[in-house]
Amino acid sequence: MIQENIIDKSKDFTLLELLDRVLNKGVVISGDIVISIADVDLVYVGLKILLTSVETMQQRQLMMVKPNRNISN
Amino acid sequence: MEKLIYAIVQPLTDVYAINLLLSGIPGVSETNLYALFYNDIAVVVSDGVILNEFVKKEMAIDFARVIESLSQQLTLLPVRFDSLLPSDAEATRLLSQNYTAFRNNLDNVKNKFEFGLKVLWDYEKGIEKVKINMESANENTNNCITSSSIHANYLLKKIKENKLDNALRDYIEQLKKEFVHDIAIINPEYNFNKMITANLILDGVFLVDKSKKYEFIQAVGNFKKNHTELHFLLTGPWPPYSFVVCPMV
Repeated sequence: MIQENIIDKSKDFTLLELLDRVLNKGVVISGDIVISIADVDLVYVGLKILLTSVETMQQRQLMMVKPNRNISN
Repeated sequence: MEKLIYAIVQPLTDVYAINLLLSGIPGVSETNLYALFYNDIAVVVSDGVILNEFVKKEMAIDFARVIESLSQQLTLLPVRFDSLLPSDAEATRLLSQNYTAFRNNLDNVKNKFEFGLKVLWDYEKGIEKVKINMESANENTNNCITSSSIHANYLLKKIKENKLDNALRDYIEQLKKEFVHDIAIINPEYNFNKMITANLILDGVFLVDKSKKYEFIQAVGNFKKNHTELHFLLTGPWPPYSFVVCPMV
């Protein structure tokens, strides 16, 4: 008898596994991203890092300035 | 406009077929997906609208949904979510410059799923079990160091900790070997990380032939029955996220 029910389908865990894969695995293309505010380049990061920091900041209910993001040359 | 890169794919028989497929799948933030071709491979992209917004968890989920939908129809290599290129021309250049690596990886994952298996335990109970197994070794250690000075006690403590670490590593390695033996007939490609946290002792990913999906699930089920002290979290089938080895040019 096939035991497909042993696959964990809990929503939170599946979501965690999915985000881990989407953000940390797969083909890595180094699209360099520059975050700049008022035309001053501030940080050289990937979107993954920004995703984390935005969520963290939202959790802390901090006010933040919306940055412009550009692909660097 | 910048392009968000979703996946490297082995297209269907013709351009019309893949465009028809892509027209039915919304991209991140409802953008349109399209494919750019090079020889017999293609890259699926959309306009990179996320550049103008904060990146939200929902966008990553939308991105994953695209890859999941594509993987049901095509052999593909998922691309990490943060991958943006400045133009269609750059995306095509990516294909041409990495053609051989992409082709090799596509061949490797063709008709295969990924499964994830996490093995957890109650650290306190688990470590007690490991300690019992190494008790006799500790007796030998106690016999070797007879002095009760501070230095001797410190040394004894360190030796015991070291032995416990080794016993723990041996236990996890043995568990891994046992599982690998049980799935040998299915012959998946696999990778393990060990002792990620005190509770997560094994974190494995497996590339399983689609025709052997149920055999793999069955093997996990049987292994689980023999290790009731452990907790198993099996997820999948996933697109082959963890089995892409492409050094980019």
